[in-house]
Amino acid sequence: MSRRPVYVLLGAGVAGHFAADALRQAGFDGQVLLIGAEPVRPYDRPALSKGILQGTKEPQAIVFQPEEFYREREIDLLLGRAAVAFDPAARRVVLDSGESVSYDRLLIATGANPIRPRLPGIDLPGVHVLRSLADAEALRAGLLAAERVLVIGAGFIGSEVAASARALGREVILLDLLPAPMSRVLGPELAAVYADLHRAHGVDLRMGRGVAQLRGRDRVEEAVLDDGTRLDCDLVVLGVGVRPAVDLATAAGLAVDDGILVDEHCATSAPGVYAAGDVATWWHPALGRRIRVEHFDNAGEQGAAAGRAMAGQPEPYAPVPSFWTDQYDTTLQYYGYPVPWDQVVLRGDAAAFSVTAFYLAEGRIVAAAMLNRPKEHRSARRLVAAGAAVDPAVLANPDTDLRALSRQFAAG
Amino acid sequence: MAGPTDDYVRVMPAAEVAEEEIYEFEVDGELRILTRVGDEIFACDGICTHEYAEMSEGEIEDHVIYCPLHGSGFDLRTGAVTSLPAVTPLPVYDVKIVDGEVYVSRAPRGGGEA
Repeated sequence: MSRRPVYVLLGAGVAGHFAADALRQAGFDGQVLLIGAEPVRPYDRPALSKGILQGTKEPQAIVFQPEEFYREREIDLLLGRAAVAFDPAARRVVLDSGESVSYDRLLIATGANPIRPRLPGIDLPGVHVLRSLADAEALRAGLLAAERVLVIGAGFIGSEVAASARALGREVILLDLLPAPMSRVLGPELAAVYADLHRAHGVDLRMGRGVAQLRGRDRVEEAVLDDGTRLDCDLVVLGVGVRPAVDLATAAGLAVDDGILVDEHCATSAPGVYAAGDVATWWHPALGRRIRVEHFDNAGEQGAAAGRAMAGQPEPYAPVPSFWTDQYDTTLQYYGYPVPWDQVVLRGDAAAFSVTAFYLAEGRIVAAAMLNRPKEHRSARRLVAAGAAVDPAVLANPDTDLRALSRQFAAG
Repeated sequence: MAGPTDDYVRVMPAAEVAEEEIYEFEVDGELRILTRVGDEIFACDGICTHEYAEMSEGEIEDHVIYCPLHGSGFDLRTGAVTSLPAVTPLPVYDVKIVDGEVYVSRAPRGGGEA
């Protein structure tokens, strides 16, 4: 009698959850072991910076599925456990409990860890990062007790935390080395709209500035900026990016370049080992290059793609990446490839925070971002998927029927 | 067997339901929506299962309704999730046309909430 194969999923975040679900949907009937470092079932991580911080959502409301979901599908959850070593030749993982787990196939979906810059005072109490539910609960408690919050880094996490802290009535300083929030991804034109949005909600924006040190006696009390400015603050949030959690893979000799290198079927350089989500740098067959994406949609979809590939049903993973960000009463939806663009075309009314940005490279649309323009999501996505070459004046013209325009291009 | 007015509510004349336009209505205080794709009229819950958003502000493409907030997709025929971030299906309702009027069932179809 043949032994039942064991598929181990390391990381019970978004990618791990959807991989486990996809394995069963694809008919895999061996053992599925989903191992997560956090002591909580897989959950909707984007809710941490918004609903959880603001207190409009309870932790039990953001888990994807009840326990029965996993029981019914015979997905074994091992929570509060992390892998500390991994031997691809022996097909074995060692956990922090000392336990050794053998696998036939392995998915690495260990995500990413927040970067803590080497700054004097960085380890003072009152300095927070946000990645896990525990981080979010600690930050919420901190915010409730705080008066003046300094958010270092105006990327997506930093900007959302700033908005949530304002929703809680806290004074907020939002600081970044770049000239406007989220400008690396959204470009200066749309980032400027977000600068206006944060100012309109009372945030003290300090753009083009860095922090030299954090100071305080027993906990953080002030920040000294790179120009010598001193800012009082009783809570600091670091939102300066993440590093993919590749240490195990690197130590085991897998090919790693930024993230763990995988092909379009989520397969790593080691036999039977896959990777998906924030930790994976993947070959996008339509794009013809490697990318790494740190967003929910990719984690879920790539996790599912990895699950299907592990179950013996590989399909090339070639999505139009997407993400959203919700700040104050606005929502932004983004579809597109993380590639350089040479032109940004705005459509709509930026002053009213209702605007769509099209990103063009050599005349072709490579991405689109819709701020409070829900009726343009699908049309813009079609234009991105088709790599449509459209006259910028036509895109900007409010009388252009985007839906009709986008349907002229073959769906991608 | 109860008549159409017991288990079903009358919504609007079928002839007025335009292709891929979304019509919002209320049943027992809950938002529902109605739309047409080709010759078929579909009805489902009016609020996304992921976060609060009115599906009437969304868009229809290839039998899928997309949430205006985060782009979750649901198959109008079954309610099944076709794109993240939603994980819970959108309840769908039976539709019938009687004397040119669209009637929608009060209770969701069984499969929609599976």
